[in-house]
Amino acid sequence: MSGATVDSRVTLAGIELRNPVLTASGTFGYGTEFAPFLDLRRIGGFVAKSLTLKPRTGNPPPRIAEAPSAMLNAISLENVGVEAFVGEKLPALPDDVVVIASVFGTEIMEYAEVCKQLTGVPRVAGLEVNASCPHVKSGGIEFGQDPRVLADLVRSVRRATDLPLLVKLSPNVTSIAEMARVCEGEGADGLSLINAVQALEVDVETRRPVLQNGLGGLSGPAIRPIALRMVWQAARAVDIPICGIGGISDAADAVKFLLCGATAIQVGTANYLNPMAAGEIADGIASYCEDHGVGRVADLVGALESF
Amino acid sequence: MSQPSADTDARSLPVRVDAEVLENRDEGGGNHHLCLRVPDWPGSAPGQFVMLSAGARSAVERTDPLLPRPMAVYRQSGSVVEVLYKVTGRGTALLAQVRPGQRVRTVGPLGCAFLRPDAAKPAILVGGGTGIASLHELAAQCAEAIEVTVLLGARTAEELMARDDFAALPVELRIATDDGSEGHPGVVTELLEEMLAEGGAPGVYACGPTPMMRRCAELARAAGARCQVSLENHMACGFGVCLGCAAPLAEGGFALVCTEGPVFDAARVAWETLP
Repeated sequence: MSGATVDSRVTLAGIELRNPVLTASGTFGYGTEFAPFLDLRRIGGFVAKSLTLKPRTGNPPPRIAEAPSAMLNAISLENVGVEAFVGEKLPALPDDVVVIASVFGTEIMEYAEVCKQLTGVPRVAGLEVNASCPHVKSGGIEFGQDPRVLADLVRSVRRATDLPLLVKLSPNVTSIAEMARVCEGEGADGLSLINAVQALEVDVETRRPVLQNGLGGLSGPAIRPIALRMVWQAARAVDIPICGIGGISDAADAVKFLLCGATAIQVGTANYLNPMAAGEIADGIASYCEDHGVGRVADLVGALESF
Repeated sequence: MSQPSADTDARSLPVRVDAEVLENRDEGGGNHHLCLRVPDWPGSAPGQFVMLSAGARSAVERTDPLLPRPMAVYRQSGSVVEVLYKVTGRGTALLAQVRPGQRVRTVGPLGCAFLRPDAAKPAILVGGGTGIASLHELAAQCAEAIEVTVLLGARTAEELMARDDFAALPVELRIATDDGSEGHPGVVTELLEEMLAEGGAPGVYACGPTPMMRRCAELARAAGARCQVSLENHMACGFGVCLGCAAPLAEGGFALVCTEGPVFDAARVAWETLP
């Protein structure tokens, strides 16, 4: 089945996408790295690597480790900085590719400033605020782990931009529904979830953590059911659209997130293993729809049946 | 050509294909030899590598272990690409079970190649353990133009990789084994030290365990010889996006082994902090 008769278009937080497949921040570089493998116009768009005000270097190695059906990473959000992104990375992309810029900072003012600098840049269709970074003033707790800090953050970035604003939530919380409602209340246009799950792996020979940083973020197929549960819970808690993320490896995985209430999805770790994965998933969703008599991909959103 | 020049401009764009296994042989001593037919293989330059996913060979994809493994291109001819590996963990154990006719997802060629050797100077290639696999294409290419000596090291004669293939090249081949079961009894860098003492300002090209490459770098620097090393590292993608394979640089900061390497000028590497 080719899926050619299916209407794959969706609208996420006011951003028109040709299909619901985006790629997750930090797993897709600045887009051009995938040019040998994938025509970026085959997918809905991509979320670029998180940007800070100034260029930032990552952690010393080892930065990655493997776990069953998963990997851990502690890169520490290495990036070229907002200026180089706007000046060098964006112009290198083909036209009509939807680009969502990801933003983070170590304090709220930095987030707001990066958002300001990206607002009005013609190629930037929307912003995704990465709320999973440690908040220095709160002793290293993630912005997205404390509802008051998260509210302050979303309020500040909302004032800084009129672009469509997605907030990427941390899974390392007791109630994802509460965090989702906080973002909605402060004016977020949509939510992306989940970010990597905080994790630790140990080498029994050296008796040290495998990662130089100690803790890392777990991603890959192992976290998919956790992510699916959180998307389902968040979708029931808010009316703003949700972009589902977490271990999506094929079209069936993606359809599960749509059924649980995600309007669009992001492919993350799978891009590493198979740089054509996002394109194959986009085609596969359309084929699924055709095979199941679904005319519009948007009709799958939230269509989970109960027992 | 009097100056070394980069091959980066001539680099082929990588492909992602499900390669067909033609042969996957246990050669004894823990060594395995994999031959793949890679459709649309654009050709690689000496020192480049491929990412192989042994789990992606059937309709239901295996996700544990999740990550593909970087492997040097040992030899290539047309669309046939050969890889040498040792079984060191679950990923390579899985790779060793793959049978002819099955598929292995292959992404490549990736990375920067060795800089072409200076035509006026002899070349010394130093390989240890599985690092030997990175040097065969370079040895074959260099031997067409210049005098090449290949120094290979292993723990034992049985564990030594690819001896016969190197012996078939028009190069001078010298072996070192830790247990003295073949060639020089001791480490391969002792052979390099001897050769550098003879002078002649050769170019040194090394791939092997970190202590071996570090020693090659020290010896070459002391002898005023240029040394290129091919680093190994864990990586999730192989093409510059996971940022997992950072290697520390002497000038400060990090370089990605996958896209800025795997071949580096040995003087650029911060050997004391390289894991």
